Amino acid sequence: MSTATQEPKTKSPGMWGALRQIPADIWSSVFRNPLPSNDLERSSTSFTNFFLHIHPVKVHKNTLRPIYTLGLGLMSLFLFLILVVTGILLMFYYVPSTTQAYDRMLDLRGTVAFGIFLRNMHRWSAHGMVAMVFLHMCRVFLTGAYKKPREFNWVIGVVLLLVTLFLSFTGYLLPWDQLAFWAITVGTAIAGYAPFVGKQMQFVLLGDTTVGQEALLRFYVLHVAVLPVVLVLLIAIHFWRIRKDGGLSRPEAAPGPLVKVRMELQKKVYGLQGFVRGPFTKIGNVPDESVYSWPNLLMAELLVLVLTVSAILVVSLLFNAPLEQPVNVMHPPNPAKAPWYFLGLQEMVSYSAFWGGIGVPTIFVLLLLAAPYIDRSPKGVGKWFARERLLANTIFLTLAVVNVIFIIIGTFFRGPNWTFVSPF
Amino acid sequence: MAEASKAPDKKEDVSRRRIFSWLASVGLFGSAALAAVSDWLFFKPQVTYGPSARFAIGKPDEFPPGTRISRDVERVCIVREGNRLAAISTTCTHLGCIVGISDTGFSCPCHGSRYDQDGTVTGGPAPKPLPWFKVTLAPNGELEVDKNTQVNPGTYFTV
Amino acid sequence: MRLALAIASFVVLIVHGVVFYNQFFHRWEQHQTAYFEQARSLSKNDAERAELEARSPRVEQTIVTSFGDTHVDRCTTCHMAADDPRFAGHAEPLKAHPYSAAMGDVQRNGRWERRHKFSDFGCTVCHGGQGRGLENVYSHGEDEFWPEPMLGYVTQATWRKDFTPHLKGKEYMEANCAQCHTAEDFAGTPHVNRGRKLFYAMNCYGCHKIDGMSEGTLGPDLTEVGHKFKIDYLWESIVEPRANLATSFMPKFNLNDADVESLVIFLKSRRGVNFAETTLDRYKAHIANVAVVIPPGTAGEKAGEQLIADRACTACHKLRDKDGGIAPDLSYEGLIRDNAWMMDHFKNPRSRVPDSIMPTFRFPEEDFTRISSYLQTLKAPPPPAATAAAAYKELCERCHGEKGDGNGKVAWYIDPSPRDFTKAGFMNSKPRDRFVASIQNGVGGTSMPPWKNVLKDEQINGVLTYVLTTFTKEPQREVKPHKVPQQNPVASNKESIARGEGIFLERCTGCHGRKADGKGPNSLDILPHPRNLRNSWFVDTVPDNRLFDSILYGVQGTAMPSWIDYGLTQENVGDLVNFIRSINPKTARSQYARN
Repeated sequence: MSTATQEPKTKSPGMWGALRQIPADIWSSVFRNPLPSNDLERSSTSFTNFFLHIHPVKVHKNTLRPIYTLGLGLMSLFLFLILVVTGILLMFYYVPSTTQAYDRMLDLRGTVAFGIFLRNMHRWSAHGMVAMVFLHMCRVFLTGAYKKPREFNWVIGVVLLLVTLFLSFTGYLLPWDQLAFWAITVGTAIAGYAPFVGKQMQFVLLGDTTVGQEALLRFYVLHVAVLPVVLVLLIAIHFWRIRKDGGLSRPEAAPGPLVKVRMELQKKVYGLQGFVRGPFTKIGNVPDESVYSWPNLLMAELLVLVLTVSAILVVSLLFNAPLEQPVNVMHPPNPAKAPWYFLGLQEMVSYSAFWGGIGVPTIFVLLLLAAPYIDRSPKGVGKWFARERLLANTIFLTLAVVNVIFIIIGTFFRGPNWTFVSPF
Repeated sequence: MAEASKAPDKKEDVSRRRIFSWLASVGLFGSAALAAVSDWLFFKPQVTYGPSARFAIGKPDEFPPGTRISRDVERVCIVREGNRLAAISTTCTHLGCIVGISDTGFSCPCHGSRYDQDGTVTGGPAPKPLPWFKVTLAPNGELEVDKNTQVNPGTYFTV
Repeated sequence: MRLALAIASFVVLIVHGVVFYNQFFHRWEQHQTAYFEQARSLSKNDAERAELEARSPRVEQTIVTSFGDTHVDRCTTCHMAADDPRFAGHAEPLKAHPYSAAMGDVQRNGRWERRHKFSDFGCTVCHGGQGRGLENVYSHGEDEFWPEPMLGYVTQATWRKDFTPHLKGKEYMEANCAQCHTAEDFAGTPHVNRGRKLFYAMNCYGCHKIDGMSEGTLGPDLTEVGHKFKIDYLWESIVEPRANLATSFMPKFNLNDADVESLVIFLKSRRGVNFAETTLDRYKAHIANVAVVIPPGTAGEKAGEQLIADRACTACHKLRDKDGGIAPDLSYEGLIRDNAWMMDHFKNPRSRVPDSIMPTFRFPEEDFTRISSYLQTLKAPPPPAATAAAAYKELCERCHGEKGDGNGKVAWYIDPSPRDFTKAGFMNSKPRDRFVASIQNGVGGTSMPPWKNVLKDEQINGVLTYVLTTFTKEPQREVKPHKVPQQNPVASNKESIARGEGIFLERCTGCHGRKADGKGPNSLDILPHPRNLRNSWFVDTVPDNRLFDSILYGVQGTAMPSWIDYGLTQENVGDLVNFIRSINPKTARSQYARN
């Protein structure tokens, strides 16, 4: 500041004027553009801002149809951001120790300002994220959006789903209450059914033969460091690939009249030097179905963000995250249930340990990973329930619905000793 | 705001949009401000698990006249002369070692600071005399020392 | 869209506001403010008043490290006046904790001094509740997930309503006193002391283990029971053992409320390592309780009949109108078992019935003598029944069941299971003589007693006819005797036994088990269960020809196949029989269980 006040003396407008100029100078040094009022500035804003330049300058109109994407992927991202923020805050008061973890949960409820609220947000966002990622996958499949050239991004997406599940699973143990302990005991036991490596995997995961201090520490490190880094990396690739694969999928453009678009300022083709492989960013020789990201896309994204945040806030205000009895290693609750997203597995495990816990899920995941390479027909992209994709959609929906039904049975219809009970 | 150029004739619409945008930013920035204040409250611990600054040391009878007892956990020396009682800090004012009780007062094992029986510096690098803490009698009849409140050296609590 | 955005933003803002607002209006802050105000009006000097004026609400806590894990008790955050005698007459939460000579508080110079200083003990060690909680529902333990609600004050929402009237009152706090005050005659814990005596007197120790006090293995380990279970759960488990676990076979002891209460309080005090209890203390208690297991004054004075009542034998057994519904009827014991059988059975129930579930009780020898001599007096046969059906109902139905399907009231607890008369395949493949013999002489090593002293021969015939016509239904056919040797033709020697063992391991272990104890991997799915071939009392009563018959031609109506169809020859069976006989030596039989 002091050097800035020296400077104006050499210039003409007078010191007062220069002083008044300082805030604006600082502002413009940070934000290179004013609020845009013409197309050049709109492009420039998207381009020169670190946080905005992940977007293309222009996006296809189809991208903005809420009914097409439902904003599910974005919601997943925003839930993840909420999870990162609340998770980091919670880390300040958490100790991954079997003697202290539960007490710290009680402290969150009692003496930490907003502690219980942050815990609620973290818990409900985690559940929400698992659900949203799953729904996002359904959306992508049912609109045929995984087809060439987006096959690999679909594969990354499937891996992201698995990482999300694992992240949620590792977080489940940390409160160290009965719910956590037995859910993880059951969950890791399911992993133990894998052929050849199962027992070893379970042992390495738990760091012991049973869930204990080592398991808590391992799950903590996985939960707060390893998996989030993996997830962030994969998300980055996922997003980068969206642009590199030509933006969001959309129906094949109807061959419309070729309209030359006149840019407001034709002196320069600014910054669109064929960055994007997709057809629509080439200016001037395609029908322009695209709109500027600023403000159209950004406003939509902001709305999704605010909606997501407000939903989580309201849920967190109304419902407290469960905290059951402190761990009692000798006395499992009856029934001991895994986290809800694994209850489909647990239900299947109750029929056949190997097939339910490992066989069927592995086949399911492999099918998902291989889907874009098996289903190679380029038809039906960008439309919900396209008629050309009737078979694929039917198979997928059946599997998804069966999975959901198993989860519902496992959650609501299973009582003590895993007998069938009616929740009504 | 941005679409203003596209719809110059719909003035009312534009102003409606402006109002909504403004309301939305009030909501969001207001929340952000509240969240920032909340974060500060969140980070400031309401309870600590270390030794408490305010603690009971026992009944006056436990300290007969002439007592000089150093309580190393709480780092105070309880002094009783006649029916007068005081609590003198045993944290060296130089670099925070625990001073020991010697015949002439206190001496620090770390860098040789020496204090007299009232905690006044008599030698060594110590910059300040040892502080005295407030002693009160709690309703249950026990003496309480409050390390948050310093009193002037020589201020005794009369039993 | 912007409208939606604006609305959603305001939702966010409102939630932020609500959460923020809630943060500043805790109940405990109001309590503290009230305390400061009232203390100010009570205080006598200005300095104190000024100090109170300056204090602002904050979370107060006591950190207690004396009892194993670190306890953090924040009770004084609301109960600020707990140690301020000026507030003795105030209402909760600003009420001073009363002084009580019974708790060891002493009065010196007109001032009370506490024996248990709050700064050393905290609050929850005695009262229960959740020390870290700052809202009533949590701190008082009303939250259903907190295992230790404030004893004597709070019932949890999930508690059974019909128990809650019993579960109030401060005497439950004794359970917490007894965590440290484990002395058997400690005056402050009368219920716990009574409960401890009941634990021995009512034979709980026979089935349950409490580290250092008892070694029972039939029931769950109760070493840490007070730590694991809520008080209503304990009550329920004693009053209705099957309420929590449908498969529990713990008997209903039908105790009165006062006894249940004492037992519950005693159990609540068992928390694994009790704070003041050293290993040596528990060892001493153990020795003491081994030597004197009955409340003083009962041994040597009361007759066997009284002992049976005191020792709760009828919690399982039946004696006249008292029926525990688990173990056999003792009403005609004098006609059924002799003194030697009974003494063996008392000292080790599995010495005579190798698969009995009856625990080994450590009563003094003279008690056993007394009980057995009392039981020997039960020689009055039942009044002759008018019909065979009535006799069956009186004597047989308890095990063999109303429908004769071997599924009587106590059948579940009896091993080997009572015979199922409805299996015509079995009933028709055996000669009538054998059934008569079984009824007359009983079946060795099982719970089937000899009835010959209870029923006359024609009554036995009548019952048997009744059973065969009513339950088996299919008319008895002439049994064609199989061609089996009367005596085992193969001489018993090492080689033969080794060959027999080889065949047994190859063919028989799937059902009869590798230990030949009838507990093979398939045994649970088979009814009747495979025979325990180490049950010497049974095996010795079975002659060679019956073993040959059963092995070679199978046992109809059971899972035992006819091994002649699977290639076993008479010589093979001879080896097998030698092997079976070899694991049931004739000597030193009654002393040890061979399971």
